[in-house]
Amino acid sequence: MTFFLQYVMRRAFQNMMGNLFPNLITIGIIAVSILIFSTFTLLAFNLTNFLKIWEDKIEVIAYLKRGTPSSEVEPLLDRTRLLEGVEIVRYVSPYDAMNFMETKLGGQKNLLQGIQPALLPPSFEIQLKKDYRNPAKIDEVVGHLRETAQFEEIQYGQEWVDAFSALVHTLRLTQWILGGLLLIAIVFITSNTLQLTISSRREEIEVMHWVGAGPGFIRVPFYVEGLIQGLLGGGLAILFLYLLHQGLLLHIPPSMQAWLAKVPILFLPPETIAWILLGGTVLGFFGSFVASTRVLRYK
Amino acid sequence: MVHVFKTYPSQISALSDITLEISSGEFTFVAGPSGSGKSTLLRILSCAEKPTRGEVVVDGVQITHPDFTKIHQLRRRMGIVSQDFKLLRDRTVNENVAFALEVTGHTRREAKGKASDMLRRIGLKEREDAPILALSAGEQQRVAIARAMVNSPSLILADEPTGNLDAKTTLDVMGIFSDLNHQGTTIVFATQFTGLIKRFPYRLIPILNGQVSDGKKVDTDEVREVKAGE
Ligand SMILES: Nc1ncnc2c1ncn2[C@@H]1O[C@H](COP(=O)(O)OP(=O)(O)OP(=O)(O)O)[C@@H](O)[C@H]1O
Ligand SMILES: [Mg+2]
Repeated sequence: MTFFLQYVMRRAFQNMMGNLFPNLITIGIIAVSILIFSTFTLLAFNLTNFLKIWEDKIEVIAYLKRGTPSSEVEPLLDRTRLLEGVEIVRYVSPYDAMNFMETKLGGQKNLLQGIQPALLPPSFEIQLKKDYRNPAKIDEVVGHLRETAQFEEIQYGQEWVDAFSALVHTLRLTQWILGGLLLIAIVFITSNTLQLTISSRREEIEVMHWVGAGPGFIRVPFYVEGLIQGLLGGGLAILFLYLLHQGLLLHIPPSMQAWLAKVPILFLPPETIAWILLGGTVLGFFGSFVASTRVLRYK
Repeated sequence: MVHVFKTYPSQISALSDITLEISSGEFTFVAGPSGSGKSTLLRILSCAEKPTRGEVVVDGVQITHPDFTKIHQLRRRMGIVSQDFKLLRDRTVNENVAFALEVTGHTRREAKGKASDMLRRIGLKEREDAPILALSAGEQQRVAIARAMVNSPSLILADEPTGNLDAKTTLDVMGIFSDLNHQGTTIVFATQFTGLIKRFPYRLIPILNGQVSDGKKVDTDEVREVKAGE
């Protein structure tokens, strides 16, 4: 078995060296294809991640009607807490709201001079249970909240989240359509290079047939060649993507850095990298398989 | 083989109604003029060509059976010397011979060693590391013979293996074939060279126009020449 492996590796290596230029071109094209695909994957991955963080932070703010007597606040608070999907409800009195705005405005708090806290509406800050932090469920909870007469207005960032998740959806779709096209391209190109290798080894293959070499001895080196092309192409693509990612991180303007501290730009997780490499390898293998069924007939 | 016909796609009938049996351990000449069908017969025996009609059994395996697929297993028990050598031009003499072993599951070292032994036996030891193209036709022919013998086959199918050899090397090579035959190897040897047949008292299958000729059906100069060996 180890002998067979040695043999196969040696032959595959000889074949690749004998056809170096087409092999390098093939690996290059595979690398570019996979780079395009994995760039989309990375983009989609980061935006999904961003969306998750964002959804996690989503809060529903229910403004109470101004002048709601404080005796009504307590029971209302209790009732809201019991609503399905609600995790925490915090009461924000007009004074709290005032304080909050003052800290927000910092040095410019004189802008607030003359504004009476009572003018500001009291509100409930409602945090949802984890399972409820998605578009459909939020609508459900908000629906219940709207049935309560004391709430004047209910605000939540849903429109933004909706638009953003539509964007992520489109991106994912593009990623897979593109992936499909590149998949065909990779199989096509490896199968073509392998046909070249096989035809340049025609005489050897004929001799192998004559001396009774088994199909494994004849074919497997070509399979391994396709496999190596796919693996190297995939590896190069991931490497380039990593360099690109690092380069991008270095060149983020300082003004954005503070904002980004909360939303990290991640690289692909290891299992996605493994999947991409495996995908490249399988495609390379498949290409060589196609090539050998087309031009390697056993005589 | 029983009632074997072979018609090439160009409608050239190369063999018609050949029936013959070659026993294990036999040394057989297949003789006949150019174009008589010797190569075709050997190519059918080595499964390189399928007969158009008829049945062929080689080493107990019916190779004309539609389910027969294990050609490579049968070929490993055969040594084939093809009329056009089929050597690999970008490799050395030793590499060419060793190749036959390497691709049938021997280690590189083992293959190289056995190839060396075989080349010594056939008188090409000094040329071992020469590229194939640096060899004369006769030397190349001997490399092809060495490659056919290196995996100790039980059947050797040799198509005019002495076609390019001078008188002395022809005798050397015949000596090697005879030795192998004494050790039990079956040998089928195609030739149009009647001198050999006269010299070595082995069984002769004369072929003419794709048929086994018994010398009575057709009586031409060519047949007389072929039959002269008997
Ligand atoms: N691949 C082929 N396609 C078509 N016709 C062929 C093919 N091979 C051989 N023939 C024809 O079949 C006949 C027998 O050919 P074959 O090669 O068996 O003769 P041979 O006895 O080996 O001749 P030689 O002594 O010249 O080698 C010839 O008429 C030849 O032209
Ligand atoms: Mg011939």
